[in-house]
Parts: sequence; structure tokens; C-alpha cells
Amino acid sequence: MAVNVLTRDDHRLQAARHRASIDLSCRGPVLAFCTTALFWLLVGSALALIASIKLHSPYFLTGSSVLTFGRVRMAHLQAVALGWSSLAAMAACLWLMCRLSRVELTYPRMLYVACALWNIATTLAVGGILLGDGTSVEWLDAPVYAQPFFVAGVGLVAGWVAATFRRRQESHVYVTQWYILAAVFWFPWLYTVATLMIFWTPVTGVVQPVINWWFNHNFLGLWLTPIGVGTAYYLIPKILGRPIHSYYLSITGFWALALFYSWAGMHHLIGGPIPAWLATASTVGSMMMFIPVIAVAINHHMTMIGYFHRLKYSPSLRFTVFGAIAYTAVSFQGSIESLKDFSEVTHFTHYTVGHAHLGAYGFVAMIFFGLYYYMIPRLTGREWASSRLIRLHFWCSAIGITLYFTTLSIAGWWQGRMLNNPNVPFANIIAYIQPYLALRSIAGILMTIGHIAFAILFIVNIAGWGRLRTAGPTLFVEPVQQHTPEVATSVPYLRPQSVHLHQ
Amino acid sequence: MDRGMVLFVGALLTFTSSWLGLVLFPFWQLQNQPPYRSEPTDDPYPRPLQGLAWVGMKVYQQSGCMYCHSQQIRSDRFGNWWEEPIGMMRTGGDIKRGWGLRRTVPRDYIYDYPTMLGTMRTGPDLSNVGSRYSALWQHIHTYNPRAFNNWSIMPSFAYLYRKEKIVGSRSEKALPLGREWTVHPGYRWRPSEAEWELILREQGTYILTSYLAETPQPDNLNLATLQGKRQLLEYWLATPEEDWQLVPTPQAEALVAYLLTLRKAEYPLPEAKE
Ligand code: HEC
Repeated sequence: MAVNVLTRDDHRLQAARHRASIDLSCRGPVLAFCTTALFWLLVGSALALIASIKLHSPYFLTGSSVLTFGRVRMAHLQAVALGWSSLAAMAACLWLMCRLSRVELTYPRMLYVACALWNIATTLAVGGILLGDGTSVEWLDAPVYAQPFFVAGVGLVAGWVAATFRRRQESHVYVTQWYILAAVFWFPWLYTVATLMIFWTPVTGVVQPVINWWFNHNFLGLWLTPIGVGTAYYLIPKILGRPIHSYYLSITGFWALALFYSWAGMHHLIGGPIPAWLATASTVGSMMMFIPVIAVAINHHMTMIGYFHRLKYSPSLRFTVFGAIAYTAVSFQGSIESLKDFSEVTHFTHYTVGHAHLGAYGFVAMIFFGLYYYMIPRLTGREWASSRLIRLHFWCSAIGITLYFTTLSIAGWWQGRMLNNPNVPFANIIAYIQPYLALRSIAGILMTIGHIAFAILFIVNIAGWGRLRTAGPTLFVEPVQQHTPEVATSVPYLRPQSVHLHQ
Repeated sequence: MDRGMVLFVGALLTFTSSWLGLVLFPFWQLQNQPPYRSEPTDDPYPRPLQGLAWVGMKVYQQSGCMYCHSQQIRSDRFGNWWEEPIGMMRTGGDIKRGWGLRRTVPRDYIYDYPTMLGTMRTGPDLSNVGSRYSALWQHIHTYNPRAFNNWSIMPSFAYLYRKEKIVGSRSEKALPLGREWTVHPGYRWRPSEAEWELILREQGTYILTSYLAETPQPDNLNLATLQGKRQLLEYWLATPEEDWQLVPTPQAEALVAYLLTLRKAEYPLPEAKE
């Protein structure tokens, strides 16, 4: 995203006005998505903590069917993957697409409907599971009656995103738009095909888990990953005020991801009662993933070179860069994990859970946090109330996910080694992993504290109690130099000429 | 071509390729596998779940047992470990752990819906658990796993059992568990020192008499000493509550019926040979 060097001040002002009016058109629907996403993040965190504690202290909250481990675990996944991540992803799609196409959002009412549909679906999913309608089809645990609402909700969003793209005023198509368009095209299709083949006209036997894992892996690979990567592609250059390292590399990365990611996933069934060639095909797909991952890594990290000191100042940059680094790490790990010798150990263990969280949290959630910190002030016209709370959020999340990932990786690896050795009694395995599971709960508590700080900041912001956006963004520390590009590129919030904000 | 069109066609093609390869092809390869008969007159294997066992599968499904238990036995060549005494790498933990007699193959699952292969082994594999335990064992274990294995981190499913006052005689279905496990269903109960003193004062003689009557070679308990009191407490905790009993709900009966049908890894299918 090149920042145009504009010579005439009024020209710049006009562009800023246009941006402001685009932001204004997005304000209602995008904030609706963001608010409900955050709500599900909190619900998901609470469920996560309950499940995590139960796993090492089985007497915790025992005695009710609603809070039994299996149900809470299923509900947690729906709340964070379909509630939080997907709603935040849709918010990202809508806002970024409008901004990059340089057009305003039209017919916002339908997007409120989409948001409502998706939230009804998530409520039915989480509530239904807790009350005993969970399907035990991993990632698709939502009861059948929630599924049509999901499809309708995301279908509307996909239509809006595509329509916005078609109305674009900007002839250059930025890589973020590629990612977003592809994601909103893939996901409704993926979800519909998977639910049709597993629930509505069920296929037999082991074909179900095959489709199930095709869905699960692509949920991350073709839905959350493109939107997360696309968001980072927007935020990093935008905040730094410099162009992305290489445009061609970004396009190569996109097509390689489209081609190879969708083939990964079957190694989650390694050794299982499925034809062996399936797992092998996925191993090949996973190894090829090095190409898009390295392309994205070079682009994101090279853009940062020479600008790392900015991490000191900018909250959104810090979250986003953490997410981008986690993306590189989790993808490398994922490719290695697909190797037969490796997954023979880690399969059926907590190692996989650690990996999943590095992806879904360390990468996806952190980038969406970065997006919130950048986008919300531009939508509400209010700055973040406290840089101290932002700092608390960042460190709780960053340390939390690091601790989470480390403990589960160690525990999972040895759990796998011991499971493979029939001379090790099962009791020893449980005794070995239990302390690590307790540490994982501590990591979960840290992350939850971060989310509460985040929620407080968010509520203060949208309630209009924050500082008006007249004097630049809330930074961790004020930059030393007087005229850093940070300050220069962040145009003060401007009212669009003809519209009035109620403030 | 317009950028949007390029993107659309590209995204369509890449995605379709994976759908064809990973979904449609396995579907075509594995759909419509018939059950197996070694002789035309033999009973077919496997058989669909029926009646109570089917209901039990539903309980298993909605309780999320699958998130701790797999249902698949892997080949005897899968995974390896170092066998210290013989100084050799060996393979195939699942069968050697006694979880099944052979690996499981697609045909074992043709009637499963949903097919709960599982992805996590916080607990042991259950493909063949029906051959390992009795119904009674399953009931007690489901009610509170720590009644058998105090190290277990499996949740208790005490909510599938009803605690009720005994009217007439104790039900045949009542779980034969001591009060240690039944006073607070789902937990393990022990009176504090003070409570035990109180109980002893009120029912001490009665408990002692039944101890002497029921124990074949009773120790000479001295209730004046701490040790004697403790020993009697252990006995008393292991006896059932007098007025209360725990009976399985229909859901618990169904779940156990399902667990008893789980025998996926023993029928000798030709394709499961290695
Ligand atoms: C939190 C994880 C967890 C959940 C959820 C769970 N289990 Fe377990 N399960 C275990 C562990 C650990 C063991 C091994 C220790 C023991 O015997 O309790 C086990 C053991 C078992 C065994 C004995 C297996 C053997 O070979 O000894 C059976 C049967 C069983 N579970 C059934 C169930 C059923 C049925 C459910 C659901 C209603 C369930 N489990 C839910 C963790 C779990």
C-alpha cells in the first residue's frame, strides 16, 4: 500500500475526507461485528478456563451435565472460532475492502442482518452444545439447526464484500483484496459442502472424518489465514508509512497458498483407518506450504527491517507484528508436523492443541487485536483511553500464548513418546502431563486478563468516554523525534463534510 | 481478463482440485463397502447399532467423550519406542497395550454415524473396550472414575445416576459402592475428625457390631485409640449408605450398553491382516 506523496495540501485533505466518509459508512455494521466478536471472545475465554482447569482437577465444577468437560470444550471451540475469530474476520473483510476499493459501504442494514444471523448461529451452537446437542464432529460441533444461520450470515457478508469490490474506485488491486475475496468465496462453500456431506446427506464411515479434517484444516487455511495475512499486509505498511517489500512476492504467496493449503489436513488422521495415500498427499501439500509461508514471511518481515523501533510506540503494530511472526512460526511447525516420523509421536497428544493455539491465537487473534487498535478509533472518532491497559493486554496475551504453547509442546511431545511405548503405564502418562496442564491453566488466566483489559478499553471507546481523535493515536510512548512518519501519516479524524456524527 | 475474474477462476480451480482429491475421490473409493461374511451363511460383520446401544452412542456423542478417547487401533508398524532390555527399536503400541487384537480398517466403521475416530488420547482407546470390562465396572467407572483409578483425570458422570431413598429393598441396579463415593455424588467424601467422633458417639456400637459380624477375621479394634477409630472409619466408608441408593438413569444404562458393544478390533477381517 503505497502512501502517495502528495504535494498539494488540499489534495491530501480531500483524500482524508474521503477516507473519513468511508469509515463513517462502515461504522455501524463493522462495530456491530466487532462488539459481538469481543463478546464471544470473553465467553470463549471463560469456557476455555473451565475446560482447562477440569483437565487437571477433575473435581472442579463436576456434577452438572452442562459443564462437563466434553461439552465445555466443544462450546469453547465454537465460541472462539466461529464467534470471535470469524466475526472479527468479517469485520476486517468489510472495512478493509471498503478502504482499499475506496468506496463507501452501501445498504448497511443487510449487514446488521448478517451479523444478527451469525450471532444467532453462534448462540445456538454454544447453547445447544452445553444443553446436549453437540455433534462431536470436531470444529463442526454446532448442532444441525445452527448451521443454516451460519451459511446465511456469511453468505450475506460475502455478497457485500464482492459487491464492494466490483464498485471499486481504485484501479490497483492490493494483495489484501485478493486474500479477502478468496476467503469469502471459499468459506461459505467449504462450510456448506462439509455440513451437507457430514450431516444432511451423511456419507458412510471413515469418509466422514476425511471430510471433517478437510474442513477443519481449511477453516484455518482458507478462511482465517487469508484474512489474517491480508490484514497484516494492510496494517504493517500502513502504520509504517512505507510500501510493502515486494508486490510480486505477495501475489506468488497468495496463489501458492490457494493451491497448497487446501491439500493439507489429512495428516491429522495419520495411522488411522483411511487409505494411506490421503495422509501422504497432505504431507506433500504441507511441505509445499513452505513456499507461500516464506513469501509472506519475507514480505512482512522485510517491510519491518529498519523500523523495529516503531514497535516501541505503536500498539497495533506490536500486535500485528507478533501475529505475523507467529504465522511464520506456526506454519513452519505445521509443515514439519505433517512429516510421518514427527506426527507418529505428536498425534493424539496435547502437542496438536498447542500448535492449534499458536495459529488461532498467536497469529490470528493477535493480528485481529492489532486491527482493532488501528481501526476502532477511525470508526468511532475516539482514541484508546489508556496506554497502560493496552500494554497490559499485550503482555498478558503475548506471555500467555508463549507459556501456553511451550507447556503443551513439551507435555505433548513426551506424552506422545510415552503413549507409543506400551511399557509405560497409562497412569504415569497422566501423572506426567498433569503439572503441564496446570501451567496451561495459568497461561489461560493470563490471556483472559488481557481480554478483560481489552474489553474495558473497547467499551470505554465505543461508549464515547475516550479522548477525541484530534491529536494523533494513543501510543505506548511518544516518539522521540518530532516528525516521525507515524504522526505525519495519521491524519486527524475529520468529519465528512455533509455528515454529522452524534457526539 | 478482469482482476476479479482471474481471482474467481483461480480460487475456484484450486479449491475444486482439493475437493476432488481429498473429498470426492475417497468418497468414491470407500462409499458402499458391504459388511463382511466369511461364509455366505455367516452373520455379517459389522452390524448397525440398535436400540439402547444407539441411544448410548448419542450420549457418548453429546458428552464429548471423543475429546479424550479415540476409537481406532493403529497398525503394528506404527510409532516406535526403544525397548531397553533387548536394545532394539520396536513398533506398534496400540495392540501391545491391549487396546485391540488388530488394527481397525474402514469396514469397521461402515455403520458409524458420526464416526468418532477421535484425535486425542487423554484416556485410553475405546475401539474394543467392550471386551475389557463388565457392565458393572462400566457403571461404577462412569459414575466416578476415581473409584477405580485414583490417578484418573476423567470427569465423573455422576449426573447420569440418580440418588434416591430406598423404599422397600435396595434395587438390583443400585451401584454397590461405599458411602465414601455416594454421600456427595461425583466427589469423594470423608468425615472430618470431629464429625467422625460425633458419628461414633451416635452409631459407634452399631458400626462396630456389623464390622465384627461382616469381617471374616476381624482385628481387635480398640475404639479408645486413634488407630482403632481410623480403622473402623475405613470399614464404614466402604459400606453402602443405609437409606440411600444410586441407580443408573436410562441414559447411563444406554451409555454402558453402547460401551459394551464396542468391539471394533477383534473380528478377523481379511483386509486387516498385516
Ligand atoms: C477429560 C478426559 C476424559 C473424558 C471427557 C472422558 N474420559 Fe474416559 N478416561 C479418561 C482417562 C484419563 C482414563 C484412564 C483412567 C481411568 O480409567 O479412569 C479414562 C478411561 C476410560 C475408560 C476405561 C478404559 C480402559 O481401557 O481402561 C472408559 C470405558 C471410559 N474412559 C469411558 C468414557 C466415556 C464413556 C466418556 C464420556 C461419557 C469418557 N470416558 C470421557 C479421560 C476421559
